Amino acid sequence: MTATAVTRKPVRWGRIALHLGCLAALLVMLYPLAWLLATSLKPADEVIASLDLLPGHLEWSNYETAFEGVNDVSIWRLLSNSLIIAGGAVLGNVISCSLAAYAFARLRFRFRGPLFAFMIATIMLPHHAVLIPQYIIFNQLGLVNTYWPLILPKFLATEAFFVFLIVQFMRGLPRELEEAARIDGCGPFRSFFQVVLPLTRPALITTAIFTFIWTWNDFFTQLIYLFDPDKFTLTLALRSFVDASSTSAFGPMFAMSVIALLPIVLFFLAFQRFLVEGMASSGLKG
Amino acid sequence: MPGHRTKGFCASAAALVLCAVLAGCGGSGESVGGGKVVLRYTWWGNPDRAERTERAVALFEKQHPDIRVQPSFSGYDAYKQKLAVQASGGDAPDVMQLDYRQIDQYASGGVLFDLGKQKSVLRTSEIDPGLLDTGRVDGVQYAVPQGRGTETVVYDVKAWKDSGVPLPKRGWTWDDWAESMRALKERTGRPGATDPGWSEDSFEVWLRGQGKSLYTEDGQLGFTADDLTRWWTFTDRLRREGAVSSAEETTQIDGTVENTPLGRGTALSDTNWDAPASGYLAIVPSGIALAPMPSGEDGTPGQYFKPSMFLGVGASTSHPKEAAQLIDFLINDDEAAKILGATRGIPVNETIRKETAPLLKDFDRTVSDYQASLEGTLKDPPQAPPSGDNALQTTFQRDYDQVSYERMSPREAAENYVTEAKAELRS
Amino acid sequence: MTTTAIPAEAQRTAGPAPKRRPKREREGAAWVFLSPWVLGAVVLTLLPMAVSLYLSFTDYNLFDPPRWVGLRNYTQMFTEDPRYWRSVVTTVTYVVIAVPLQLALALVVALALKSMKHGKAFYRSAFYAPSLLGASMSIALVWRAVFNDGGTVDNLLGTGGWVNKPGWALLAVALLTVWQFGAPMVIFLAGLQQIPAELYEAAAVDGAGKWRQFLSVTVPMLSPVLFFNLVLQTIQAFQVFTPAFAISAGKGGPADSTLVYTMYLYDRGFVASHMGYASAMAWVLLLVIGIVTAVLFRTSRSWVFYASEGDR
Repeated sequence: MTATAVTRKPVRWGRIALHLGCLAALLVMLYPLAWLLATSLKPADEVIASLDLLPGHLEWSNYETAFEGVNDVSIWRLLSNSLIIAGGAVLGNVISCSLAAYAFARLRFRFRGPLFAFMIATIMLPHHAVLIPQYIIFNQLGLVNTYWPLILPKFLATEAFFVFLIVQFMRGLPRELEEAARIDGCGPFRSFFQVVLPLTRPALITTAIFTFIWTWNDFFTQLIYLFDPDKFTLTLALRSFVDASSTSAFGPMFAMSVIALLPIVLFFLAFQRFLVEGMASSGLKG
Repeated sequence: MPGHRTKGFCASAAALVLCAVLAGCGGSGESVGGGKVVLRYTWWGNPDRAERTERAVALFEKQHPDIRVQPSFSGYDAYKQKLAVQASGGDAPDVMQLDYRQIDQYASGGVLFDLGKQKSVLRTSEIDPGLLDTGRVDGVQYAVPQGRGTETVVYDVKAWKDSGVPLPKRGWTWDDWAESMRALKERTGRPGATDPGWSEDSFEVWLRGQGKSLYTEDGQLGFTADDLTRWWTFTDRLRREGAVSSAEETTQIDGTVENTPLGRGTALSDTNWDAPASGYLAIVPSGIALAPMPSGEDGTPGQYFKPSMFLGVGASTSHPKEAAQLIDFLINDDEAAKILGATRGIPVNETIRKETAPLLKDFDRTVSDYQASLEGTLKDPPQAPPSGDNALQTTFQRDYDQVSYERMSPREAAENYVTEAKAELRS
Repeated sequence: MTTTAIPAEAQRTAGPAPKRRPKREREGAAWVFLSPWVLGAVVLTLLPMAVSLYLSFTDYNLFDPPRWVGLRNYTQMFTEDPRYWRSVVTTVTYVVIAVPLQLALALVVALALKSMKHGKAFYRSAFYAPSLLGASMSIALVWRAVFNDGGTVDNLLGTGGWVNKPGWALLAVALLTVWQFGAPMVIFLAGLQQIPAELYEAAAVDGAGKWRQFLSVTVPMLSPVLFFNLVLQTIQAFQVFTPAFAISAGKGGPADSTLVYTMYLYDRGFVASHMGYASAMAWVLLLVIGIVTAVLFRTSRSWVFYASEGDR
């Protein structure tokens, strides 16, 4: 914060203007969110047709319907399914990406350059292109309609973005620590687990936050791989309220959207202070 | 396989694809849970349909203690994607709900089981032969219709009555319809209807009213660019006059009733299938009514009883008999019919339809009465559309957007469409 | 903390290699660490990619076995499919609108937050909030309401609805992406945090005003982060799918104005069941993104400033 020391001249007014500006921007930014909240309390005939922000009267029954769950599956079940998948994905990404990142950042092996380039290139892959082949593979392995197709890829470090993030972070760590550990007779494994990993915490938390949010919202993969309603997630259940061939229930859908949003918000709020730190010290510089 | 291998990895890729194709023919590894046969049963629908289906399935399990049914549902669009991926991965469910547009593709792709082989279990004698035939491809019964629906002009009763324009009546023609729309616009200031130009379904009704059809028997295009030009010129003129909804309104149609012009309160009527029209009850507070679709100038009816959905059995199922039993139960069982009501369209089993009609409540009753009023006046449904129709339905809508946003003349757009359609149907 | 500002030339090489003890045994260890990634890369990336490359030369309808057609999908795409080219134009337009807008907004907010003493964490979370949502169906419905005839935007600006006009709909889609600028904002904040305060102090001593400091200290020091964001967001923008799909209810309307590349790909592959054609489209997209990325890297040499280039 020392950088601001210089800019302190027009002291108060500048600051107040800054805050006012930010608040005004926030007002615009959060308006659609307010709309989302308000709509979740609108009666059926207003949900789509009304273009007013505020509901004519508060329709709490949308939430009652949402809490009943879908397809005989309670909302708690849906919630815990979502949590299992997001949790598994977080665990998988954190473990596998940090392992791979350590190798790329610190260890020497053949074809490292080309492999690294390949890893980066996979960020560019449009995932629709590999969807069907991946499905075939998981089907051959008998894993369709389990959580594995959603979690296993994360344990295999398929999300190159995070490998890259952690590589960048590890490169920023002082090499002397590992050197010291090595002199003490630590092999690469011990030095990874005991020296490097604890220091990588901010990057790992950043990985965890992004993985959690993205997995939670990933409708398409869940749709394709999950079959049994008992295994459905909140994100998946949301769509069950809207059906083009019969009657839709938009009110409860909005209510469930709000409910589905809560865990992400909580997760984010709990860990967000590490987010910038994780990015900053990973020296994400291209 | 007429594969062509260039490089090593191509060969392995081909091998993988082959594996997948073969997997489609092998068993899909159905487990037998605790000595019970487990059937996967998938369908699309909404929570109401889900609730009733769960109850019907529970009853089936009670009657067949050795079978366990694992039902699963999602919304229509999501369902289509999911089923396509599952089927191509050789993982089609044992019993699946199918749309008219899916039958041809799934049948010719080897995804569906020949139901004729389970004739002893699956009774179809109570189904109208014309309707039953819609589940046939190349003479094989691949699917059985589960409910039937038909198109309707659904309208805001109060607004229409208040306008003083005569209410729609049986046997009205497209010209009568157009005149009503103009009169409604004049008296109420609002467009009379959704612009039907975007809808392949409405076009089909119009076309059949002239004795033609969307597709020929051998799956080619059944109409010419001239026909389509006439249809789009007709709707485009009404749109320009403001008698039907504007392009900006029409484009917001996303399949839900809420986002149709009638649902949004910007038009007085809509052309839709009869069962989904129930959605209007909640959003058009002054009440809705159903009128028949307009017919051709000589009175030829264009609408028909369409199977609103089918049931089929996966070709890879290990339990074809049990799967057929489930379908038989859903279609022919009295108790099941009482539970299901008209949630999947009006029942196809004629006896059950007559028995359950008085029991139907609310809008189910409205639909049932509406269909009863048409009974015997409509022509047989066309055979299931060729698989290319899946894509063409969207193309139709896209090409009409070019007309309604005045970027192309009806003639240009129609010729575009016919070219695209021919290419699609060839491949 | 000197080592935190590392050069990180990740794009060009695999980065600094350990200089000491290039022992063979360590190579074994490296492969152990890499094994999950290698397994994933081979089974879940390379193999599916190979399959999709093969399929791009076939006619494959998802059900019947693929039929080899050589380059037909590619020639058809380039010469016979006007809608394909429209989707290309739409996507490029989208990239050109969404990426600069999103990055500019993320940068401005990050700069504002940086110079803030109180309430930083609050603002950061609040500005990030939209990014938690993704492009869900409910948010798409909200968007359609806000940008519809008589919606909030129409009332405020008198422009009429956006989502239902071919000339405007893509802008509404782009704004959904722009709105969710949380990730680049956080990356910018992180980059700003790393700029050593001494540089500003030195500039102030030299008599540089705020604007001058911004130009001569912040911009060059931030350029690597800006570059990282630019590359990542550009790649993502070329692959945009969900916002366009959600807002146009899967149709890409009105009048194909939001039918972006991946949506048309999806449409061809999963709706029309031309998986071969869709695979060919995917490979062309992959190549184009590769080329664009390479060009960005090439130009970066002239404007991206690496503070400690010699740190290796």
